[in-house]
Amino acid sequence: MSNSPIASRRRNHELVLILMAAVLTGGAYLLASLGKTSDIPANLIGFLIIVLGLLVAAHVVTRFLAAGADATLLPLAALLNGIGYVFIVRVDTRNRLAGLQSVWTFLGIGLYVAVLVLVRRVPDLARYKWTMLFLGASLLVLPMVPGIGTFNGTNARLWISVGPFSVQPGEFAKIFLAIFFAAYLAENRELIATGNWRVWKFNLPQPRDLLPIVMAWGFSVVVLVGQKDLGSSLLFFTLFVVLLWVATERASFLAVGGVLFATGAVIAWRVFSNVQSRVTLWLDPWSKFGGTTVGGDKGRQAVQAWFAFANGGLFGTGLGQGSPNKIPAVQNDYIFAAIGEELGLVGSTAILIAFLLVIGAGLSIAVKAQRTFEKLLATGLTTILGVQAFVIMGGVTRLLPLTGVTLPFVSYGGSSLIANFALLGLLMRISDSAARRNRELPDTPTLSERMAARSLRRQIAKADRIAAKTGNTGRTGAVS
Amino acid sequence: MNKRIRHLMFGLMVCYVALFVSLQIPQMFKSKALNDNVANTRQVEQVFDKPRGNIITADGVVIARSVPSKPGDRFKYQREYPRGEVFAAITGYFTLANGASQVERVFNDTLSGKGIPLRNLGDLVGRTDPTGDVYLTIRADYQELAAKLLGKREGSIVMMDPRTGAILALYSWPSYDPNLIATHNSKDATKQLEKLFADKRKPLLANAYQERYMPGSTFKLVTTSTALKTGVVTPDTVFADENKYLPPQTTDPIENYGGKSCGGDLREVFRRSCNTPFARIAVLLGGDRFVQGANDFGLNEAPPFDLPSPAASFVSAPGETFDDKQPVLAQRGFGAESVQLTPLQLAMVAATIANGGNEMAPHVVARTADSNGGTVTTTRPTVWKVAMTKSVADTMVDLMIGVVKGPNGTAQGRFSLPNGIQVAAKTGTAQLNPKGQEQRSHAWITAFAPAKAPQVVVAVMLKGVNAVISAGTGGRLAGPIANQLLNFAILHP
Repeated sequence: MSNSPIASRRRNHELVLILMAAVLTGGAYLLASLGKTSDIPANLIGFLIIVLGLLVAAHVVTRFLAAGADATLLPLAALLNGIGYVFIVRVDTRNRLAGLQSVWTFLGIGLYVAVLVLVRRVPDLARYKWTMLFLGASLLVLPMVPGIGTFNGTNARLWISVGPFSVQPGEFAKIFLAIFFAAYLAENRELIATGNWRVWKFNLPQPRDLLPIVMAWGFSVVVLVGQKDLGSSLLFFTLFVVLLWVATERASFLAVGGVLFATGAVIAWRVFSNVQSRVTLWLDPWSKFGGTTVGGDKGRQAVQAWFAFANGGLFGTGLGQGSPNKIPAVQNDYIFAAIGEELGLVGSTAILIAFLLVIGAGLSIAVKAQRTFEKLLATGLTTILGVQAFVIMGGVTRLLPLTGVTLPFVSYGGSSLIANFALLGLLMRISDSAARRNRELPDTPTLSERMAARSLRRQIAKADRIAAKTGNTGRTGAVS
Repeated sequence: MNKRIRHLMFGLMVCYVALFVSLQIPQMFKSKALNDNVANTRQVEQVFDKPRGNIITADGVVIARSVPSKPGDRFKYQREYPRGEVFAAITGYFTLANGASQVERVFNDTLSGKGIPLRNLGDLVGRTDPTGDVYLTIRADYQELAAKLLGKREGSIVMMDPRTGAILALYSWPSYDPNLIATHNSKDATKQLEKLFADKRKPLLANAYQERYMPGSTFKLVTTSTALKTGVVTPDTVFADENKYLPPQTTDPIENYGGKSCGGDLREVFRRSCNTPFARIAVLLGGDRFVQGANDFGLNEAPPFDLPSPAASFVSAPGETFDDKQPVLAQRGFGAESVQLTPLQLAMVAATIANGGNEMAPHVVARTADSNGGTVTTTRPTVWKVAMTKSVADTMVDLMIGVVKGPNGTAQGRFSLPNGIQVAAKTGTAQLNPKGQEQRSHAWITAFAPAKAPQVVVAVMLKGVNAVISAGTGGRLAGPIANQLLNFAILHP
């Protein structure tokens, strides 16, 4: 806890916003239940207490551990998570997902707290950049290890089994890789930017300087393409290009990235039948709708999602009044269509705005951060959130071909939710750190720093005692 | 780097604006087309997974209701019509793929609950049944009796309260079973509908008010009241005894029914239903007054009705003049040539006379209510037309009593009500076949009782589709049906 007026104002704002998010979630939960079964849910009060309890707990921890952090990120995540939860309960026909999702939320907030507790100084992460690369790469490969990896039916995604649960390690890998990219680029950005390798008329970066990061990226893309997880490979590619561009301030990386992306997309379309199928479903889902042949009904998700949006119109059918369950697996990739159906254009636009606000908050943290690593990390993490949300929502509205990624905080899915709360924790930590460096609140030493200082003091005292005995007074400074 | 981060913010913003624009396509621009797409079953499912209110007759019989579907059905609720064929013309049907008709269509908002206002917090939280019920003026017992009496004869029966315009029975045969159309098996339903559409007898049309027929002598009610109110005739006006009358501008004479000789004062020619006097009256009135008289009853227009698409009876075309068509005018004067009435509008003509000249707007719905029976809307009786003065109406009632009571009245001896309650009536036998061909005629009667303080009007029409009906007259064939209906109505008010 801090006595800085700026920090406590920020936290008070956060508390008010969190209460508003909880009221919205509770109200939506009530309405969804009324719309579905015409009854007030028996567990409404309990539900509200748990929602509020979890959020207030996250808030209190933030008050103690990251008092100067941005005030809007946690409430926005709470709102998105709450709306997502209401829709998962609403589309959950077997009464199974809702309970699990609340467990995931609990674990997610737990990991958020853990990140704030464990990561007290952001630069510490940079010191472990190679470990981060190793962890990220391992997590990506894990699903391909026989015995651990499980192929999840038609979804082009590989999972690993942990006990009774499946985990999607890619969701965590993206955070580790973002840390690695940010750390490596923070260290080597000038070398890469200036480029002293002269090829014909151009100054190119030395291959040696780019190699680790290109390898890391290439590795992740190859692995993901191998697993046919196109959404994630698009995400990693974007993360890589954006960080390279922001770090070096050279737009040529964007251009090269764009060309590479276009080439990659064409090759993927030529080579992979599932990419071709995705493009077909994007351009004309009707051709694959209602067919009885194999794959003849693959367009059902896309078509039913459009029907859902149309049914919603401007103001929506009202919670619990639509038929979002007509979209297969609506709780995962297509939850946005369910929101569009029952809350209408107004509701779907509200979700868009919520994500834009998350992006705005995340990037303004990046702008305010002083250290290059923190800037790049905040940019990277925000890019992951913003692009992932854009890619899946664009896939659902058919702005883009569908790539199966989750809608952060909203979709059902333990790995995604927990990883995104961890990501949120990192952003909050960077934000708090920037606030302290901007002297918005005093920078109190962390426990380990205090302990280090104490042991240093002891060593000095000991040295003093020895010096007193030996008469050596060669001390150059004092530690108080 | 901050500049690049700001550019990144801008880039992502552009992405999200594109997303917002792409949302407009399904949610706004193509919303209607997508909702109407035949492959899109969302909206019907939202309707068919919810219950729908009841349609209830004035005597409390539920004639349309929602029941939980049988196991394995696609939807949660099935619409059911317990006495389907008897009430089909009133309830209509409510279907998955073939729309809705009649009360089901017109009062859809009430039945689905859309038109039911929230009145307390309990309604808001949805603990109560959100649907609404429609309460009819129709009497289930009258309707059942009408159906029984008509049997398997093509025709229509209308009963109404002349004082309010409330329709008490509205039946025609052939009818259809709306349950077969309301089935959730759309293929069966469509097949059934196609069969009904193909049927030349038009069972899907409520013939009692959506079809019009030659009225024959029942139309003399209109001609006579017009002549009385314009002073062209009085009850004492005497018409020569003749078996044929040659109107101006023709050599083709008008004959009485069966070629008989017929004449006397207005009372006598009215109760005997001679043709030539009324042909003469029409010519005496002239086209303008004749047409105006019919328009005063609303006969050239569709009546205001709370069931869909009532047909308009036909007496004259808009702007039609008869200066050079005197023979046509003469024939229309006794309900021949191209005059056509719906059974409903004939009942309304009789009801106007019974109600002292005021023609009430007909209606089948008495009120709409929420599921607890609390009234939401009530139909107030309204005067649609004032067709004649009270004294002309009283004279008309006397003339109609003569039809039942007087010597040689066409309905003489056809009515006997308890306690000697007097009936007033007018018969009609509308000859359809041209001279010399096999006889085909509709048999009509309209009657009300008690004659001096009418409570109920009945109109019965039997279509002249076979020799048995065609050989009879309105009084002989339709009279007994009207008698039984009036008896029942007087005994069970």
